[in-house]
Amino acid sequence: MEGVLKMLKNGRKILGMNARNIDYVRPLNLKKSKKLADDKIYSKKVLQKAGLPVPDLIAKIRTIEELEKFDWSSLPNSFALKPNRGFGGEGIVVVYGKKKSRDEWIKANGDILTVDDLKNHIRNIIDGTYSLSNTPDVAFFEQRLTLLKLFKPYSFKGIPDIRVIVFNKVPVMAMLRLPTQESGGKANLQQGAIGVGIDLATGTTTTAVLGKGRYIEYVPGSRLLLSGIKIPYWQSILKFSVQAQEVSGLGFLGADIAIDKERGPVFLELNARPGLSIQIANLGGLKERLERVRGIKIKTVERGIRVGMDLFGGEIEEELEEISGKKVIGSIEKIKLIGKEGQEIEVEAKIDTGAMSTSIDVELARELGFGDLTEFFDKIELPTGFVREEAQKIMKDLKQKHQHPDLIDIDIIFSSNGVSIRPKVKIEFIMDQLRIAANVNITQRADLKFQTIIGKRNLSRFLVDVNK
Amino acid sequence: MENINPVLAYLVARGLPLDTVIMLFMLPIIVTLIAFFRQVVGIKAFGIYTPAIVTFAFLTIPKLRYGVVVFVAVIVVGMLMRYALKKLRLLYLPRMAITLSVVAFSMLILLALGGSFQRTGLASVKIFPILIMITLVEKFVGTQIEKGNRTALILALETLVISIIGFYLASWNGLIEFIIAYPWAVLFTIPINVFLGKWDGLRLSEYVRFRNVLKNM
Repeated sequence: MEGVLKMLKNGRKILGMNARNIDYVRPLNLKKSKKLADDKIYSKKVLQKAGLPVPDLIAKIRTIEELEKFDWSSLPNSFALKPNRGFGGEGIVVVYGKKKSRDEWIKANGDILTVDDLKNHIRNIIDGTYSLSNTPDVAFFEQRLTLLKLFKPYSFKGIPDIRVIVFNKVPVMAMLRLPTQESGGKANLQQGAIGVGIDLATGTTTTAVLGKGRYIEYVPGSRLLLSGIKIPYWQSILKFSVQAQEVSGLGFLGADIAIDKERGPVFLELNARPGLSIQIANLGGLKERLERVRGIKIKTVERGIRVGMDLFGGEIEEELEEISGKKVIGSIEKIKLIGKEGQEIEVEAKIDTGAMSTSIDVELARELGFGDLTEFFDKIELPTGFVREEAQKIMKDLKQKHQHPDLIDIDIIFSSNGVSIRPKVKIEFIMDQLRIAANVNITQRADLKFQTIIGKRNLSRFLVDVNK
Repeated sequence: MENINPVLAYLVARGLPLDTVIMLFMLPIIVTLIAFFRQVVGIKAFGIYTPAIVTFAFLTIPKLRYGVVVFVAVIVVGMLMRYALKKLRLLYLPRMAITLSVVAFSMLILLALGGSFQRTGLASVKIFPILIMITLVEKFVGTQIEKGNRTALILALETLVISIIGFYLASWNGLIEFIIAYPWAVLFTIPINVFLGKWDGLRLSEYVRFRNVLKNM
């Protein structure tokens, strides 16, 4: 019951289809602007004129006569063929290479496309098969974008794109869309692509959803974490989105931007009726955000970006913890060490990702009930002046000769200030509410600032934020 | 018939079939129901015309289940034809013409089968509702091309559900008697639609769609 009430209450923060159409699309996206958004060639021209980077137009085919007269050898080796008024990524053909001797092209999946295949496809486009409400359409060729190295492992045969919702010159929500095998290389969630929410302040990805609503942490079939991807050119992407709103006159805009390997961010298309799934990917409500931005006077593009970043960013840390299941900690943390008899000692520890193991000061070890062991270890005559190659053998000898119930191992540590041989004990500690069982080595740290350092081996459940 | 509105009584006396008059008054109620399903519940179906006309087709078929059989048969044949014709790579209208022709023949076979299995109810289905159902194929195949198989099937199912609900509503005696007595009450659907047309709340289906967001906000 409580859950139902919460859902009903939160329902006011979500933008549904009714509210999108009645409160945003209808009053804010006038017919003229909608027409511009639905016409890809025209919007390409308008955006380019305003100084926004767009994929280059190679050629367009408007009629069957033009199709018959078309010079196929004029096409470059790779291109994208699109219906001018297509939607949802339908009817798009992308070729990656051309056969040397003939006018034949190769698709991403290795299929060969002949001139006849292309002609047939273009005939279908002109006939309106892929256009809104099946009206006659224009086919056009444009420059094929190349995949950014960063995105390569995340996307299947296609270019990911970034959707930014802009309202009142403020970017309010964004998501990265990754094409998958299921979506056939298309960056469309309805067809099974992955949508990843983006923190507006930092351009870092947060939660991810596969297709219409399955939350995922990793790229399917891999161990690639979808959260925490830092999107390059983030400022420019937001800037282009807001500029596109100014140019297009779309009061409620879905801007689609891709990143080309050579050219950087490139504006793909304007969307006058942006989908609502972006809310699922971001685990947040658009309506709530739109209402916060409504009525604010924004004079410049920069100001709009600033407002968007300030209002809709910065929650990333908690989200990161939620997604990765890892705690975000700073470079210095208060921890509680648990001694042999269960005594607890709170200390400040340095988080040292440069060290393998955790180590504590001799005095601290004594307080934790390992006094007996430290005395025992002090009495051992430790070899000095050996070289790295001998270390293994020396350790083995030491372990055999000297045994103590608390001593679980002996470590030889090579560091910038020489070699040291240290005893190792089992100690548990609590950091950020997590209880960690660690093999800790004991050494002289009395004259150092921190009595305890936590090494890599015991940090697998944490992410370190150096600014914290 | 004791409670008949004078205007209706006059029309009937003038030779208008009562059934026709009732159907005309029923139409606003059915289409309002469809609008309600779209705006509040979130069931899309194939627009407003298709579920409305299918509802009326159901009303003219002797038994609802025969109507459903015809509906399902039309969709299945339409779907099979799409695969059968895929290889030929025909343009839209000629392809649709072939599909509709084959659906028509399939109907003939279906009715003949009905006859031979003594399902006289099925065999005696009139031509008009069958034609209506056949035109449903264009909607279906068009959606298949635009939005894919899954969406088309879901929309077809939603159309069927709304039409069945519409059928029960329109054949409910209480409602029929009410319309005969107070036909002008039907005008009340207009303010209802004004409200539906301005209602910007979350649809029932959207509570399901965004359930994870709603729970985790």
